[in-house]
Amino acid sequence: MNDDTHAHGDTGRGARDDTGRGARDRIGPRGAGAWHLGEGDLRAYERGELTPPLLWSADAHLAGCAECRSRLAALADPVALDAAWERLDAELDAPRPGLLEGLLVRLGMADHTARLLAATPVLRRSWLLAVTAVLVMSAAAADTLRTPDSPTLFLALAPLLPLAGVALAYGPALDPTYEMAVVAPMHGFRLVLLRTVAVLAVGLGVNGLATLALPGYGLAALAWLLPALALTATGLALMPRLGPVLAPALTGGGWVVFLMVTVTTRHGDGPLPPFTAAGQGTAAAVAALATGLLFLLRNRFDSVAPAFTHHSHGSTL
Amino acid sequence: MTVTSTGTATVSASGLTLRYGGTAVLDDVSLRLQEGITGLLGPNGAGKTTLLRVLATAVPADRGAFTALGHDPGTAAGRLTLRRALGYLPQNPGFHPDFTAFAFVDYVAILKELTDRAARHREVRRVLEEVDLADVRGKRIKRLSGGMRQRVALAAALVGDPRLLVLDEPTAGLDPEQRMRFRDLVTRAGQGRTVLLSTHQTEDVAMLCHRVIVLARGRVRFEGTPAELTARAAGRVWSSPERDPGARAGWRTATGAFRNVGDPPEGADLLEPTLEDGYLLTLDDTGTEAAR
Repeated sequence: MNDDTHAHGDTGRGARDDTGRGARDRIGPRGAGAWHLGEGDLRAYERGELTPPLLWSADAHLAGCAECRSRLAALADPVALDAAWERLDAELDAPRPGLLEGLLVRLGMADHTARLLAATPVLRRSWLLAVTAVLVMSAAAADTLRTPDSPTLFLALAPLLPLAGVALAYGPALDPTYEMAVVAPMHGFRLVLLRTVAVLAVGLGVNGLATLALPGYGLAALAWLLPALALTATGLALMPRLGPVLAPALTGGGWVVFLMVTVTTRHGDGPLPPFTAAGQGTAAAVAALATGLLFLLRNRFDSVAPAFTHHSHGSTL
Repeated sequence: MTVTSTGTATVSASGLTLRYGGTAVLDDVSLRLQEGITGLLGPNGAGKTTLLRVLATAVPADRGAFTALGHDPGTAAGRLTLRRALGYLPQNPGFHPDFTAFAFVDYVAILKELTDRAARHREVRRVLEEVDLADVRGKRIKRLSGGMRQRVALAAALVGDPRLLVLDEPTAGLDPEQRMRFRDLVTRAGQGRTVLLSTHQTEDVAMLCHRVIVLARGRVRFEGTPAELTARAAGRVWSSPERDPGARAGWRTATGAFRNVGDPPEGADLLEPTLEDGYLLTLDDTGTEAAR
């Protein structure tokens, strides 16, 4: 709020109900707190120029503060005031944003983008807790089974988690509104990218925190990063052709098989080939190529995935 | 049979064919839709959901083409324009269970490119009021009844005031009271719009639709008015104390007598045909097992 927002006794009567009455009619007995909207905020509100989260605070306060409502009425012309009441009605109906959504808006993200991300299934608390638990356990195991050059188990596992997260962020497997999203005018690729960035940020962040639990390995403990990007980009690029389940499953499976082969064929105790300098370079090249391919295939995210179509054939025709 | 339609077509499809593996789920489907509610009748496995998905631009057909509201979804620009004028209620609409009714419709509104917060919230309020859910807008979807959830999904489909509504078995699984209420909502939603309503209940078609398409084994078997479908059974429905072995289909009615459809014997006690009789005979004419 502005500096001229001042402390004051409670004069408001704000509460909402579910009867569909307008905001003016549904002011209840509860107070709005010991402060009032500043002149500048009131004028910005009247002009419809306040943006979240300041707008949410103003909405909540106006619903409960008769004095501020009177001041707003004095500021506004009748037409603009009706529009403001209508806006307030709509805002009162709107759900309070959840923790993640609110945080994203406070960080400057547009509220509609934050809502899209908040609906990402794998950004839910249960998924994040599971991912964190797996990583903590693998980091602990790597620390316990200390190998001389690199925490192999952790490095092998860590790239799979962002891949799984991204794969499950968009598609019929976990997104219940997948079919509605596909036929919506918003481009499917934009939704995929949005969620990929969000899930990657979270996944890589959790991986990074787990890496901090392995300080003895130095930079070698970060050798999961480029393979993680390569696997994620490859899984996404294959998705339009193979579907949102098979594509990441094959990519992840290929990674596991590749590691097993390198384990059985390697000589000496050094790091596995993917975690050497040459391996890291290869991973970076694969990530770049797959990202390019993904861009070329972006329009293929515009219709339902093959796996969804085939699955539905048997059950819902 | 195809009955020639005289109204202006808002959706026109020609030769739509879609194969999964070796099976033709849609086989050379051609149809025309007009403003108002058109019922899509057919037994399970007829290809109704696939046809609706194609018309809703969710899946492309292998062959054939269609235009809707003057747009060609075969092009990226046409598809986008059509999607902006489309409301789609899938057969099993999914919900984010922790969302409230308002939050869910708000989410779909964002997918429909309503990014201005105030305007979007006004639209969400409007559609929730249109489906009589204003009072429960703040409730979590997982706490709503099946009928209410279906109305939430309809509200989501109505966001943006679409000119074309594609509804896939919206009354399936609803109890009779909920079904009646939903039919009333669909009737209201159908005013000034083109609505394609998939169902396997002839009552839905009789009560809601001004045109009907019968789909069986991936092909259009009938296209016309409900009265014309009913007329197909004129003189081909009769009553008998026991099931007539010569009938194509027969079932015991509440009076204890059998209602038979097919080619009646000489001197049979003919009955007034219903839409269901016409539908069963149409299916039977195509050799569809569901008619028997």
